[in-house]
Amino acid sequence: MTNLQSLDLFWPELIITVVILTALIVDLCIEKSKSDVVGWVLVIGLLITAIAIWNQDKTTTTLFTDMIVLDPFATFFKLLIILSTLLVAVVSWQNNELDEYRKGEYFTLLGILVLGLFLMASSIDLIMVYISIEVVSIMSFILAGYLKLDTRSNEAGLKYVVYGAFSSGIMLFGLSILFGLTGSTNYFIIQKSLAGLDGSASAALVMALLMILAGFGYKISAVPFHFWTPDVYEGAPTTITAYLSVAPKAAGFAIIIRFFHQVFADGGALADAESLSMTDVPWPEIIGILAVATMTLGNLVAIQQESIKRMLAYSSVAHAGYMMLALPVLSIQTVYAIMVYLVMYLFMNLGAFFVVITVKNKTGGETFDDYRGLGWEMPFIGVVMTLFMLSLTGLPPTAGFIGKFYIFSALISGGSQYYWLAIVGGINSVISLYYYFHVVKVMFLEGERKETLVQPPEVMSGVLLATAIPVFLFGIYWNPVVNWVQNSLIFYVQTM
Amino acid sequence: MADYTFWLIAAITVISAAFVVLNNQLVYSAVALLFTLFGVAGLYVFLWADFIAGVQLLVYVGGILVLIIFGIMLTNRISSVRISHKSVQQGVGGAVIIWLFIFLSIVILKTPWLNQTAMEPASSVAQVGKLLLMKYLLPFEVISVLLLGALIGAATLSREDP
Repeated sequence: MTNLQSLDLFWPELIITVVILTALIVDLCIEKSKSDVVGWVLVIGLLITAIAIWNQDKTTTTLFTDMIVLDPFATFFKLLIILSTLLVAVVSWQNNELDEYRKGEYFTLLGILVLGLFLMASSIDLIMVYISIEVVSIMSFILAGYLKLDTRSNEAGLKYVVYGAFSSGIMLFGLSILFGLTGSTNYFIIQKSLAGLDGSASAALVMALLMILAGFGYKISAVPFHFWTPDVYEGAPTTITAYLSVAPKAAGFAIIIRFFHQVFADGGALADAESLSMTDVPWPEIIGILAVATMTLGNLVAIQQESIKRMLAYSSVAHAGYMMLALPVLSIQTVYAIMVYLVMYLFMNLGAFFVVITVKNKTGGETFDDYRGLGWEMPFIGVVMTLFMLSLTGLPPTAGFIGKFYIFSALISGGSQYYWLAIVGGINSVISLYYYFHVVKVMFLEGERKETLVQPPEVMSGVLLATAIPVFLFGIYWNPVVNWVQNSLIFYVQTM
Repeated sequence: MADYTFWLIAAITVISAAFVVLNNQLVYSAVALLFTLFGVAGLYVFLWADFIAGVQLLVYVGGILVLIIFGIMLTNRISSVRISHKSVQQGVGGAVIIWLFIFLSIVILKTPWLNQTAMEPASSVAQVGKLLLMKYLLPFEVISVLLLGALIGAATLSREDP
């Protein structure tokens, strides 16, 4: 579609842009102590955006002269991103870490991040892919280093910049090789010209893919591009950590799925499980090994952590690994499984981080020692945290179990060559049981029982309920999620 | 003649880039960067991207590099600080780099790159302008949001009052 025609189908992004500018202007007019108001601008703006997305035409088309697409797949991720941003924005008001700081810019940058994530989920052009990843990365750098008075946060910001610059440099090199081979930046044209290449180009293709994988792998913090994760997650404000572990990861998976399906597969039709076998290179094995390395490393290192925030950081690396397990098969079922997992993961992971925030607001710490006897002192927090830990382990009857169930069943239906991935995934879930239950054990079985009960603030309780209820409910009745994912599995496909 | 010029410019770019990395005095590195950026501008000319070559000179050499040098000069005592490049595991790093260099060279030499027949060199400004405002309008606009965010971020992080 031409630029002018596209505007009609671009309302959600336009609304976000207006929200960003409004937030910026509102922030100019108010004092530091009242800068929470900007959060309201963002929250209301995001709600309006969600309505706009919901009411959008269900058409499937490209926008802005083939730069981005509008399809149910992108819409699914947009709604997921809005949901996580809303939860994080509400919790940001309650996060004591941010009290000394002006929050206007914080919420404005969060808005720009949302715009970048939207574009990540929908771009089909290498230039747009790169720019959207940069929008997300640069906003994340700033937000990770937002606590200026805290040296850990400074470290987080700086490390994130260095790793981010490095991996996007490598990715750009890969993209340029791809451009040199095909002469186009459009996914569908690249796909068509790649199909016409002979074997002499396969070395360059491998090089390009590995380099591009470095850029995408960095966004979902897959091993061996995960080195930034623990320090950034630990130093950043906890609300931002929670956000980084969910929303950019979801958009990263969206971009990976779209890229591999539409460039290296059959153009998005996802007809069969052999779709990645276009080159002579064993892609399923390479991605499978990366997935196994990611979750094993995440789990093994998580065991040794003293700080719960850092433990959750490694645990989120492990969860990226579980989702990557399904990538080598690349059939429509695995995409379906990854999307179901992302929905479940959103609630349980955000919930766990919100508990960390509540506890830190009260005790000022985030190590296991601060959680001693917490289950008796703050029963609500104890119960909710137990639920999240159960779910992150993947035990029934919680959402995490359903997510894992879909991933493993997709792997098994992919054929016997993927059984080993399912087995390794199972072993890893057992390992993770150890450190997730350590939290539960510390909360209920250690420390002295205090007689006084402490209630978390009402807003926090509300948000925790808003994440805990889905975690429990989707463990028993997951039809709504599955139906939603089912209806969203429509890609824009262009036959050249 | 054009060939010799190309190799000369390429050599200047690579050698001065190596100097940027290997020298351990910040000011020298910054000055060496000047030649690297000039060299890259020269390479753009060889690709008939005259507009980008000009922008490279204006923005990188004229703006960013001057800013870097100002930054170094105005920072207290930074010119006397020796940045040590005593990197660890030089052996492993060297092996990886040599392997990567060989592999990339083979890839670059063996691959059937898409060749385009040479066109008459023409001013590219009009084309760049058209593409930016028509085909690549969305990336162009998104970059402006990105720059806005970067500006807000820079102001936030450098402000004295938290």
